[in-house]
This record gives sequence, structure tokens and C-alpha cells, in this order.
Amino acid sequence: MFNDFFKKMMGGKGDNSRDVAKKRLKFALIYDKLEVSDDTLNNLHRDIVEVISRYFEIDQEAFKLDIRRSDELSALIVNTPILSAKHRNGRADV
Amino acid sequence: MVQIPSGAHPGPVYDKMTVTSMTTELTTEINMRCDLEGRIIVITSGKGGVGKTTATASIGAALALEGKRVVVVDMDIGLRNLDVVMGLENRIIFNIVDAVKGKCKLRQASVKDRRIDNLYLIPASQSDNKDVLNPREMTDFSGELRKEFDYVLMDCPAGIERGFENSVAAADEAIVICAPEVSSVRDADRIIGLLYSRSITPKLVVNRIVPEMVERGDMLNHLDVVDVLSIELIGLVPMDDQVVVSTNTGTPLVLQKKSPAGEAFCRIARRIDGMTDLPIEVPRTDQRLWKKIAGKFGFGK
Repeated sequence: MFNDFFKKMMGGKGDNSRDVAKKRLKFALIYDKLEVSDDTLNNLHRDIVEVISRYFEIDQEAFKLDIRRSDELSALIVNTPILSAKHRNGRADV
Repeated sequence: MVQIPSGAHPGPVYDKMTVTSMTTELTTEINMRCDLEGRIIVITSGKGGVGKTTATASIGAALALEGKRVVVVDMDIGLRNLDVVMGLENRIIFNIVDAVKGKCKLRQASVKDRRIDNLYLIPASQSDNKDVLNPREMTDFSGELRKEFDYVLMDCPAGIERGFENSVAAADEAIVICAPEVSSVRDADRIIGLLYSRSITPKLVVNRIVPEMVERGDMLNHLDVVDVLSIELIGLVPMDDQVVVSTNTGTPLVLQKKSPAGEAFCRIARRIDGMTDLPIEVPRTDQRLWKKIAGKFGFGK
């Protein structure tokens, strides 16, 4: 208790190993949870192509699905050339 | 039963009464059955060496001292250890594999502890590997365990493979043991995810807390661990030399006098057994000042 108090008075913040541990742990867990298996990615690929194909004629060969990670956030990036729009009334039926 | 009068007015009122009285009878019968069935609790951690086996032996012994019929099951097939921790290694004849495969009766496989009444051990087999059992067989076998005991504690092996699957298959509840270190907490998080996916809501024991290091800021405190794992806490256990001593001699930690870890496990057992309002004590350095003064003058250790 008193030690902590004095440390704070003397040396400002100064991360102790407990704070470092907690920070590293939180990041490790976030990264662990971002890991996506190939199966999941393939299923997602298939489903997205299916949904988009209801509304657009797309080039299925050129369709690309990617997860891009940076320190701050992860992004799901879908890239597909559209050949033409499907003209129907209202929502496409499944 | 209420008779439905025949004739002019069969009246819906009577019908309703019959139905309600029947349902109440049914529900009470079901409740009574549930009370008779034992609870299966898996004790797990993901990472090895955080104190699962000690926790299983101690919580089991403490529950038995409370007067419950308890069996602790060593699921670490091929690397059995619960038997030596409990000091029952010389009395093993049959093991869990024999019992599950029907090569012996449940009672034959259960080694009775002679110091603590109502405490039994089903040891692991040492010559097989984890694949000799499968989750389906464990679920089938669990019915027998529930009938015979109030509490069944499964000592889960480290890892997330077949040994884990087998230990969790029949479990109603889970206790996750976690040491306040980065690697242990990370593995605990993974295990908690796997338990949730099996519709089990686990409870947390933070084991091996060194109060001096926590106070110095060199160890995660229990609030940090709870914050990261966000599950319900059921107990805090301090680091305790007596654990090694009691393992050396094969005597139950909870019978050891002045063992802080033993006392903590006893309180955990009481919480499991329904005393949910028993406060959770945070391990602290006591007589710190006196120790320091004694140290200065060359007394103490």
C-alpha cells in the first residue's frame, strides 16, 4: 500500500510487470479470437457469392475475399467485378 | 383423483382440476429424482501444472468431510497422478477404463479413502492412451456414477484433445483453475470458450496467488483475471508450501492444519455445496510488518 503510494510519488507512472502482463494478455486474446479457419472462410466465400449473385451478375472467378489486419482493427475485404445488374421487381426470390 | 361426473353437466371445471392435480404430482416426482442424482463437475484448466489435480483431490476431500458421497475420477489416462496425490496408489486394482468397458463393477474400481469417509477415487489406467475411451461411452457410464454418488469430480487432463472431450462429455458443471500468469489465463480463456460451446457455464478458481507479488505489482491480481475471463469467481487460493508437503506424503491437504490453500479449497467446496453467500477471501500478506522487523533483527526464516 505505502510502497505503491511512494512509488507513485517518486517515479510517476512506470508500468509494473502486472500492467504489462494484463495488456499483453488482452491483445493476445483479441488476436486469438480473430483467427479464422479456412473452412469458415470458404463457407463465407460461397455464401457471399450466392447472395450477391441474386442481385448482380458477377465474375465468380475473379471474386476475392480477404481479411486484412492492422494493429487497430481487422477488416473483411470483398472485391468483385460486376458484369451486370439483374433487373427484377423488388427483392430477388431465393 | 377427482371423478368426472357423468350426466347432464360434465363441466369443464372438473376437467381442469384433474389436469392440474396430475401435473403437480408429476413435477414433484421429477424434482425428487433430480435431488437423488449426483452432480458431475469437471475440473479443468487447459494448461498443465496450474493445480487441477491438487484442486480435485482437495475439493473432493472437503465435500466428503461435509458428509457428501464423493468420487474423484482421474481422466488423465496414461499419465495418472491423482492416486499419488491422494496417497492411494498402493491400493489400485481396477481403473476407469475397466469400469467404463464393463470389465469390472463401479464399486470394484472405486478405491475408498481410509482417512475420509465417503471419499472414493477411480484411478486412470496407466498403460492405455486417451483414445481408448470416447465421449459417448463416458456419457453412458455417467448414469451409474450419478446414482452412486452425490458429487463426481472429473480431473481433466491438460490440453483440448480427446482427454478433455471425455472429461467434459457427461459434466453438468465446470470449474476452471487458473494461475495468475499470462499463459495460464490465455489457455483458460480458450477452455472457457469450449465449455460455453457445450452449454456449460464454468466457474473460476484463481490458484497459486502470491500476495507479496500482487502487492508489489508483479503479479496479476484476481480482479485482473476475472476482468479478462469474465466468468463467475468461486474461490481464491494462495500459493502454499503445504501443497508440496502433502503431496510428498500423500495426505489430504484439507486435513493439514494451518494450510491456507487447504482452507481455501474447503471454502470452495462449501460454495459448490450451496453456501453461495460465503464471502471470497482475498489472500493477503499477514504480519508483514512483524516479519520485516523480525527479518531486520535476524529472526524468522
